[in-house]
Amino acid sequence: MSRIQEFMDADPGKDYYAKLVEELSELNTKLNAFNNINMSLESGYPVSFKDNICVKGVETTASSKVLKGYKPPFNATVVERLLSKGFGFLGKTNMDEFGFGSFGLNSEKPARNPFDKERVAGGSSSGAAIAAAIMENHVAIAESTGGSIAAPASFCGVVGFTPTYGVVSRYGLIDYGNSLDKIGIMGRSADDIRHVFGIINGKDRYDATCTGMPEGSESQRSSRKLVVIENLLKDIDAAISKSFERTIAKLENSGFEVERINLKELDSAIAVYYIIAMAEASTNLAKYTGFKYGNILDDFSKEYNEFFTEAREKFGNEAKRRIVLGTYIRSASVREKYYYKALQIRRRIGERLKEAAGKGHIIMPTMPMLPPKISEANKLSPLQTYMVDILTVPANLTGLPHISFPTDYSNGLPIGTQVIGAPYEEYKLLDFVGEWEKVFKYRFAYNLGSL
Amino acid sequence: MKIGLEVHVALPTKSKLFCSCKTYVEEPNTSICPICMGMPGSKPKLNKEALKIGLSVARALNCKINEKIGFVRKVYFYPDLPKSYQISQLYDPVGFDGSIDIGSKSIGIRRIQLEEDPARIYREDDYTLLDFNRSGTPLLEIVTEPDIGSEEELREFYAELRSILYYFGVEIDREMKADLNISLSKSRVEVKNVTGIKNLIDAARYEINRQSAMLERGEEPQVETRSYIPESMTTVHTREKETDEEYGYIFEPDLTFYSTNIKLVEPVYASAIAKAYAEKYNYSEKTIKELIAYDRTALELLKSSAESHRMQDIIASLELLKKYKIELDAAKFKKLLELVEGHVNIDYAKLSAIAEGKEVAKESGISEERIEEEIKRFIKENPGIVEEIKENPKSINRIVGRVSKSIGADPRLVLKLVEKVLSQ
Amino acid sequence: MDYKEFERLLEVCRIRLSKGEKEGMKKDIDEILEYFNKIEKDKVGKDVKPAYQPIDLPEQLREDEVIPFEDVDDILANTKTYRFYIVGPKI
Repeated sequence: MSRIQEFMDADPGKDYYAKLVEELSELNTKLNAFNNINMSLESGYPVSFKDNICVKGVETTASSKVLKGYKPPFNATVVERLLSKGFGFLGKTNMDEFGFGSFGLNSEKPARNPFDKERVAGGSSSGAAIAAAIMENHVAIAESTGGSIAAPASFCGVVGFTPTYGVVSRYGLIDYGNSLDKIGIMGRSADDIRHVFGIINGKDRYDATCTGMPEGSESQRSSRKLVVIENLLKDIDAAISKSFERTIAKLENSGFEVERINLKELDSAIAVYYIIAMAEASTNLAKYTGFKYGNILDDFSKEYNEFFTEAREKFGNEAKRRIVLGTYIRSASVREKYYYKALQIRRRIGERLKEAAGKGHIIMPTMPMLPPKISEANKLSPLQTYMVDILTVPANLTGLPHISFPTDYSNGLPIGTQVIGAPYEEYKLLDFVGEWEKVFKYRFAYNLGSL
Repeated sequence: MKIGLEVHVALPTKSKLFCSCKTYVEEPNTSICPICMGMPGSKPKLNKEALKIGLSVARALNCKINEKIGFVRKVYFYPDLPKSYQISQLYDPVGFDGSIDIGSKSIGIRRIQLEEDPARIYREDDYTLLDFNRSGTPLLEIVTEPDIGSEEELREFYAELRSILYYFGVEIDREMKADLNISLSKSRVEVKNVTGIKNLIDAARYEINRQSAMLERGEEPQVETRSYIPESMTTVHTREKETDEEYGYIFEPDLTFYSTNIKLVEPVYASAIAKAYAEKYNYSEKTIKELIAYDRTALELLKSSAESHRMQDIIASLELLKKYKIELDAAKFKKLLELVEGHVNIDYAKLSAIAEGKEVAKESGISEERIEEEIKRFIKENPGIVEEIKENPKSINRIVGRVSKSIGADPRLVLKLVEKVLSQ
Repeated sequence: MDYKEFERLLEVCRIRLSKGEKEGMKKDIDEILEYFNKIEKDKVGKDVKPAYQPIDLPEQLREDEVIPFEDVDDILANTKTYRFYIVGPKI
């Protein structure tokens, strides 16, 4: 029986929840994990949803001013499925606006790392990672486009699970890049994640791109072979590469075979990712027009172009930048050069990665550095920030399942490692992480909601 | 002279193109959902029937059809477009390189594509009013080559297209709109959004005259977009701003590619059928075509009676139905045919009677009283007949035969009345 | 991209920026586009099909049946309405 099922069967009683939401609200003022907390939660296993996942009747903003006050008239499919299976809605977690960011700073209230409040929590699922890191009995539903689950999982010392593209329904997920977005799970153990994944994955009549998992995958065991892609590791911090080598050594000692390869094609992965993501995002953000929902403008007698321009002033800087770049990429004169070519290279990178994942689970550090100080991160240029995704983009661009999990601590800060599988190998990866957890104990800075 | 058309046809599906809301609902903003409202988090899913009809029309218009079709996002900013992009087609449309024959020549069909309709928008002074019932209605856009060379060719082409679409279930009077592109020399003028064949011809005629007059004066017509005003039968420059902004197309990532290898609906080429009947039965092609081009009931009745009745009687009967706006099933139509064959003068009263299943006298002016009178007279003159019928029921035919013939009444009616009289 | 092209692009996007913001954004965009240009060196044959989606997905179609959305009022509650119509800005 899973720990989650045990909790549900134990049914802790109203006082438990009252204490949990009170303590959470208090801590939230320091960490900015939640955009809103359900103070009247009374039952169920506490689950939170990233604020780009629609919860009916609950303000859902994707951390953007353009959606202030928006109350979706429907539940995302993942919300429907979980709430009908004994989970209790705890709140909406903070994120980078529309998913644009790797640090959790592109939000009205920048998120803070629970291990060190002066440092970033990672993004864009910053709040979800913090929530999993500070509560003992919690799973956070999050979303990844270029690494938005793995990155904060690594920085906050939790397990971040991103399934194969198309396995979990995106209906009700506010879009960033439709061919890149995947709903995933953050939690404290592979076991918890496995329980939740079993409920949320599967075909959905509202999502034409949702396939679910193939029959019988649940019993799959981890591969005994691991693949290291050496050329990706050359520009990462020394602390990270040293830690990674120690992790590899441990795994080799416990019987894993490790093969080291080079994939030159991955050099273009970041450029290709951002070209596609921005092109798609610039179309997705066009629907926020200032009069159908969310932030509604006062003066309707302005002519439409002026009205629409004014509505768009509420976007953050990163959102504006991506709209401008994305629109440029989509223009006829450069479409072949950027958009079309990027899609072709994506196919090639996908084929190479699938080949590599066929030999064994690809393993690499999740982030190229330890969680930076917020003041340092704010000094980075946009391009420097994009480069931080260098290790998470390959799997995300090609829709491969991957899990980031804590493998070390350096000066009290967590270091995450990720394993990447071929399509639909998620249960193999969960088995791998489950085995790791038997020999490595995760550390946490807080344990709210302890039973 | 070069005339081309961009025809927008709303398809006869029950639900919308990408969501399950009901199509063609009157009461504003009652048939809407997150998908056709373009709400954040919503996703499209393609209507199987819309795909089927779209491909069927493409095949009916002799188009090339690729193995798979795909969709794109066409981005532009206007309040009636909920997502600020329209899901449409570009590289992999439903059909392309087709044609329609109009006897004298062939008019090229450049492309046919599926796309979603925006909302209905009403302009007020300081704001607009929007009805999203319309948003998401499946549209088929049919773009012709500028092969139409005269007003007459335009009429023939549009009539033929209307007929083909009618037989696919399209509401051709309400759900078919055309953009007219006319150029007499170098400049191409677009007249947008004309509904109905009469308006289309009138708009074309006005434009042709307007442009000709300008050219005669030595002026080149301006490249512009105009609107047709039915009240004055003129075209005017529209207020719509012509932007040269691009649509910034990308592949629609919430949809995939769809196989075209599915069972399609067979087209009905009413013109071709009319021509075949005209040749076979030596009758006016024009007359037959007029009756069946937009009337599937008439076509069925024609088909069911062509072998067994004379074409002139069939046509006369169909024209009666059309004149008096009455519908008959095949059995009742046969009754009508018989009367027409018998040179009976059919008026509205008689036609209604047939529609209601009542018997109608074969000769005009012969009432049931008159027949009964005649029957009674016969019985009086032939007293033994009643006994004869009691012994041999078949002898009733003697009365029926004699009375029918002597006054020229429908034997079946006479039989009924004989039985009535005998029972009294 | 030259400055005029950039300003035209902002117009097309309906994004309005102050002079200072424009300069800042142009600098960032130039740097990012320069980085994107590295894919020019990648040799990709014409026959390589674009990966519109990262995984091959089966096609899924919807039956043509009417399923009315039950919470139309919740949709309308998010916006301004006037006698059944949704109010939009002037055109």
